[in-house]
Amino acid sequence: DAGTGTRKRKSRWSEEEPKPFQLPDFMKDLTGGIELDPEIQALNIRLLEINRMLQSGLPLDDRPEGARSPSPEPIYDNMGIRINTREYRARERLTRERQEIISQMIKRNPAFKPPADYRPPKLQK
Amino acid sequence: VALQRLVFQGGALPTKVVCLTQIVGADELKDDEEYEDIMEDMKGEGGKYGTLVNVVIPRPNPNGEPSPGVGKVFLEYADVDGSAKARQGLNGRKFGGNQVEAVFYPEYKFHEGDYDG
Repeated sequence: DAGTGTRKRKSRWSEEEPKPFQLPDFMKDLTGGIELDPEIQALNIRLLEINRMLQSGLPLDDRPEGARSPSPEPIYDNMGIRINTREYRARERLTRERQEIISQMIKRNPAFKPPADYRPPKLQK
Repeated sequence: VALQRLVFQGGALPTKVVCLTQIVGADELKDDEEYEDIMEDMKGEGGKYGTLVNVVIPRPNPNGEPSPGVGKVFLEYADVDGSAKARQGLNGRKFGGNQVEAVFYPEYKFHEGDYDG
């Protein structure tokens, strides 16, 4: 008997939306809820992933022989040891991505505390 | 310092009273029927989280004098368990298009009829 009068009508409450991720209340009050932003969550997840990869000591580039793209010209140091090994390049790539993610997070949340080893990118003219 | 801020902000220390802020406009509250509707919605939704003891929706003074707490809704629960669930569940929800903020409200203020906190 909806619509038969003013008594029975739809509640003004929106549907209860599933919340993606809940921090404890006290944390939410401290951070103003910014951690609930899904984009920041995605950045955070990727950052943790990269940190884990860099610290694991496992080979970073585990693509099989056939699936790799051509290597750049080798660069050697004074001792004739190759600098830009596959491992080295993979590490560089991840480190760069990590720096970019941290820059992004600072931009979105000025209160974000970057890790101690983070250096802001040099501004280029 | 962080703890002090929490205490002064209120809203973080659990009480049996949940205050929903920025929820209704003064114009809506002047209308008796709208007021009843809102009250019904509050009892309906608020009751899902625990036993509601009291629901207070401050209304504007008919003589136009400013009246404290207009726009807020206070839900008093039988226990902190209910109020904590309600705060968690209602915070960030939308009511008639307004994003609701749910905070704990000091019980002594509520019982003194001080809705201005």
